[in-house]
Amino acid sequence: MSAVLDLPDYREQSPTVAARFQKLKERPVVLETHGLAKRFVTPHGRVSALEDIHLAVHRREFLTIIGPSGCGKSTLIRILAGLESATEGRVLLDGHPVTGPGSERGMVFQGYTLFPWLTVKKNVMFGLQMKGQGGGEADSQARQWIDLVGLSRFENSYPHQLSGGMKQRVAIARALATQPRVLLMDEPFGALDAQTRCQMQSYLLQIWRNVDVTIIFITHDLDEATYLADRILVLEANPGRMREVIEVPVPRPREVEQILSPEFLATRKRLEELIHPPGDARSDKLPMLKLTRVGDEVE
Amino acid sequence: MSRPRPSRSWFRIGQDVPSHRAGLLTACSFLLPLILWCAVSYTPWIWHPDIKLELSADRANIATFYTAGDHVSREYFPTFVGAVRQANRLVEQQALATESPRQIKRANLKKLRHLAPIAVGNGWLTPEERVDDAKLYRVWADLAEGRKEAVRPALTPENQQIVAQNWARLRTPTGTYDYTALPERPLLSLVPQGRPANPVYLPAPHEVVQTGYRDWTTPSANDGPTMAERMRHSIKIVFGGFFLAALVGVPIGILSGIYTTCSRLFEPFIDFFRYMPAPAFGTLLVAVFMAHDAPKIALVFLGTVFQLILVVAKTTRQLDRSLLEAAQTLGARPRHLLARVVVPGILPDLYNDLRILLGWAWTWLVIAELIGVKSGLTEFIETQGRFRNFDRVYPVIIAIGLLGFFTDQILAFGRAIFFPWVGTPSRGPAKWILQGLRGVRSFFGSAIRDREMGPRRVANLSSPSVAGGGAQP
Repeated sequence: MSAVLDLPDYREQSPTVAARFQKLKERPVVLETHGLAKRFVTPHGRVSALEDIHLAVHRREFLTIIGPSGCGKSTLIRILAGLESATEGRVLLDGHPVTGPGSERGMVFQGYTLFPWLTVKKNVMFGLQMKGQGGGEADSQARQWIDLVGLSRFENSYPHQLSGGMKQRVAIARALATQPRVLLMDEPFGALDAQTRCQMQSYLLQIWRNVDVTIIFITHDLDEATYLADRILVLEANPGRMREVIEVPVPRPREVEQILSPEFLATRKRLEELIHPPGDARSDKLPMLKLTRVGDEVE
Repeated sequence: MSRPRPSRSWFRIGQDVPSHRAGLLTACSFLLPLILWCAVSYTPWIWHPDIKLELSADRANIATFYTAGDHVSREYFPTFVGAVRQANRLVEQQALATESPRQIKRANLKKLRHLAPIAVGNGWLTPEERVDDAKLYRVWADLAEGRKEAVRPALTPENQQIVAQNWARLRTPTGTYDYTALPERPLLSLVPQGRPANPVYLPAPHEVVQTGYRDWTTPSANDGPTMAERMRHSIKIVFGGFFLAALVGVPIGILSGIYTTCSRLFEPFIDFFRYMPAPAFGTLLVAVFMAHDAPKIALVFLGTVFQLILVVAKTTRQLDRSLLEAAQTLGARPRHLLARVVVPGILPDLYNDLRILLGWAWTWLVIAELIGVKSGLTEFIETQGRFRNFDRVYPVIIAIGLLGFFTDQILAFGRAIFFPWVGTPSRGPAKWILQGLRGVRSFFGSAIRDREMGPRRVANLSSPSVAGGGAQP
């Protein structure tokens, strides 16, 4: 592909994009980590899942985290959510250390995790009730969030009656309803089919545009990472370290057509290089064993 | 080329059967055992290893004696009959003259009474009148002089003849009974007669139904409890023990499921204790709780509670952990998690567990009712079983089965109603019955439509009900 296309450098930014990043970096930092590390003790010795993660996410930024499998992406986001504790280092939210899970860091999981015994509306009201909001107020707020994700017709349905994409939209509405500072998303569209996933990406960008929230989004899909993000954090595996932070030069608002733009492709190519280094290509080859007849070649 | 037709085979691996077939199969599942039972009971040449005596006889010098209604084996019956005939021959040859007239008179009175089963069976005498010698005497007279004819049971020609011969010796000038007027010459014995029968432990279906109906509708003798009272008592024992077990077991089970501390504290001992069979504690429980209902309820409790704790703990552990995490990221504090996530999350499964454990509790019923003072349905089974009245035992056993089965089915349907988010039962008898009912309806429905519309439409018409039976989220 690179031989065919003459792509610009992924670090080249058009003036508008550069100005946007300038503005973004002037915004206050919402979530930051200092020297985060996570190590496990296993029967086979100590395993280091994450080492030395320094991160600063600005207000209303969209950060995606990508990396090969086993690089500790999920561990990282679970530490940010407070569901796991770090072995070393700290997580600060608006300058205050994070000690456990809380509603100011909403989370959307890959497995939907809707409460099956509650209707859509009751699911969305859950967080509000935990905050101590009364029935009527929580009810009207929940409706507003359900409207936002376009599921008003289903507010009295149970989760098992919804499709995967709809369930994930409810999960997003539920996480946003408590008005978190940061929305943490752990491969949220990983279980969806390709078409639904595309649609969900578009929904997510629309929601993000309309809500004051910072998003940290984990994925293993390079296109998804590029399409959604302001910045992409690339992790490397064993141990999980920060490889690079890429500022995506694709202008906003994003449209699906942009995935064929030179900036997009350049970023995409860089991600490819980082996650599948060229040296690895040989390991993709299967041993030669011909089971076809002579004159039968397809290539 | 012909269009490929859907396979009509009854045996397709892993495939659902159409609902009208499912209905038929469900019906057969109950009918086949019943048909088998009927076949064995009503076809004389299948099995029938015994002879059920309609008339019996005493035999000199033999200690075992049989009375009408007793069973003797088919092999032994000819020997029995032969021996009685031999005794009659001796009487005719007057070879038994060693006995005193007094002994002979007493023996003759017994022989007079031998006709009682025939008299009662034909409805000439009530069962209470079977020792009313004067009335029996009239029966002899009527039979011998042709005023009465035995029908059910009938007399064999041989016995008819013996009746006539005996009557010739019995008849008195006054024509009324008088013990002193009994002949001082021995009478002939009636020759044993009977019909092929199955062993006493396998009464015929109609006998079971008749006795069952009689036992359930008549008030019981000598102030004992009626069947309904017995059943209520048994239900009380089972549900009492079960509810106590649930009351204690569910909280402990849930706590063990969510806190490893509780699990480590309770489960090792419970795992050990549940291997000690509850009935082994029977006498201990009677010593502790005295002889009436308390030890029985305690036994059901003991037999159920440990299993219940382990099952509930397992169910709780199976709750999707990520629901707890999701709740925490929505701001739920640990104290909220139990009431707002764990309990509602496991409720449908907990309900199912309790349903299964209730079935478990039913299995302790019989043993529980045998300890201390016997009571309830079990006491009836036990007593009647000792008298070998198995036709009275079966209805009670079947009643216990039906009670358990229908409780379970009602609860299974209840699950779909109480927990609308889990859908209808996907497996088990509840679904089979539901499908069966639908199937029977659609079977008759499609048969009617079949006639109206011709065969081509049938396949299409029956398919929606198939989907209805099998559709699951």
